[in-house]
Amino acid sequence: MSEYFDPAKYEGWVCADCNIPLQLSKVDVSYLGNSFPVDLLKCPNCGLVLIPEELALGKMAEVEKALEDK
Amino acid sequence: MNTILSHTESVCPECLARIPAARVMYDGGDVYLEKDCPDHGHFKTIIWRGLPAFTSWVKPKIPTYPKNPFTEVKRGCPYDCGLCAEHKQQSCCVLLEVTQRCDLHCPVCFADAANNPPPDLTHEEINAWYERLLLAGGPFNIQLSGGEPCVRNDLPEIIKIGRSHGFNFFQLNTNGLRIARDFEYLSALKEAGLSTVFLQFDGTHDEIFKTIRGRELLEKKMAVIENCGKLNIGVVLVPTLVPNVNTDNIGDILRLALANMPTVRGVHFQPVSYFGRYPETPTDDMRITIPEVIQSIESQTGGLIQSGTLCPPGGENALCSFHGNYVLMADGALKPLTRHKEDSCCCQPIPAAEGASRSREFVAAHWSSPAPLAELPVIGAPSFGEWDVFLERKRTHTFCVSGMAFQDAWTLDLDRLRECYIHTASPDGRLVPFCAYNLTDKYGRSLYRNTMLQVEGQKLQVGD
Repeated sequence: MSEYFDPAKYEGWVCADCNIPLQLSKVDVSYLGNSFPVDLLKCPNCGLVLIPEELALGKMAEVEKALEDK
Repeated sequence: MNTILSHTESVCPECLARIPAARVMYDGGDVYLEKDCPDHGHFKTIIWRGLPAFTSWVKPKIPTYPKNPFTEVKRGCPYDCGLCAEHKQQSCCVLLEVTQRCDLHCPVCFADAANNPPPDLTHEEINAWYERLLLAGGPFNIQLSGGEPCVRNDLPEIIKIGRSHGFNFFQLNTNGLRIARDFEYLSALKEAGLSTVFLQFDGTHDEIFKTIRGRELLEKKMAVIENCGKLNIGVVLVPTLVPNVNTDNIGDILRLALANMPTVRGVHFQPVSYFGRYPETPTDDMRITIPEVIQSIESQTGGLIQSGTLCPPGGENALCSFHGNYVLMADGALKPLTRHKEDSCCCQPIPAAEGASRSREFVAAHWSSPAPLAELPVIGAPSFGEWDVFLERKRTHTFCVSGMAFQDAWTLDLDRLRECYIHTASPDGRLVPFCAYNLTDKYGRSLYRNTMLQVEGQKLQVGD
């Protein structure tokens, strides 16, 4: 599965709380009773996940729409 | 201990006079419709057994009255249907009974398809129907019904006439006999613009068909699914649920449907109602109610479909139906798209017309066959992990489970009838809510349908 973003674009992002570089990890994304694993940048210490804007406005919005359809 | 939950109106099953009625809950949560006719006594009929609780099954709506009512309010509901100005919902789909002939004489038939049917409507008359529907606020979704519509060789032409008026969703309500054997005819229907086949499908073994329809039909039903698959026509399986006949077959019907996706788009259960033609006056053990169907779906699928994913409707009265939508994943899992929110007090009422409009669009989108994969637009955005797989499957493998409880002279609730959005076009050009159109008293005498066909020459007097 291809990634939802170009990892190079987010190189150097660090967790503001832990000051640790984010790492690409499997994250369970759940919405309205459905849950699927997605590769996202995550803090290996506190678990904070970065949701890039293009994901929030793109596929995430599409999933919301799909699940709220009637 | 019993509790009156609310009041409504109904009719007397003996004389069809309008009488007050109450929804009464007894210990354990079962709800009955109770009513008294001054001439024919007390009637008490089960309308709700078990969970989900009757009181949780609500979906409030703001009434939307017909744009152009065809009949005046004279005697009041249910005697002025056409629609009248007091009907609280607009049309979602309209049944066109293009013939009263039928090639399958079932012991149970809500249309009471006649042995000596009147002549089929002409193209001119059908054209006038379509024009009336536009006047009423159409185009609506069209259900080609009967009788058995496929006994008409010119059915493709009837679709084309509708298309020429701008109608674009055509559902074929059929027993499937003709389209099981006549591929050329089915191809012509598809070519003309048929959207979906609403296939009478009572079970997964022939004993059921023999009991309900009088003959073995499973092989023919499966041939319909195969033929529709070849032509990319969506099929919805429609079982009439009869206690002690096929109510233990609900899980098997759903599994058969899932195994035949994506040609089969869903299953639409119809708990048996007693109007038209049926063998005897019904008792409560001859009825299965909506919550019982919902519970059976969960238990007979081993929890594959959870009862909490089945919801009250947005278009018609909540007590009339349920629905749930799912995505069938490649591993056989069903991912629910719907959830029943029991704390419905948080749910704001929606305008009834909006519910009807959404239902119309939903049915058109999901009961039709999906476009072949090559024709689907590729999702262009970057990957969202396995949610992408879900989104892709949703475009081709959405599975709809629904059910509708039709009303008869014992269960008729005029609050429900006033919110009905499935209407039958009568030969004289009125739009009559389905359950009013098919309503018959215990002697088989009709309020609207075949009003010329009176039992043993008796003159029916109703209302007032």
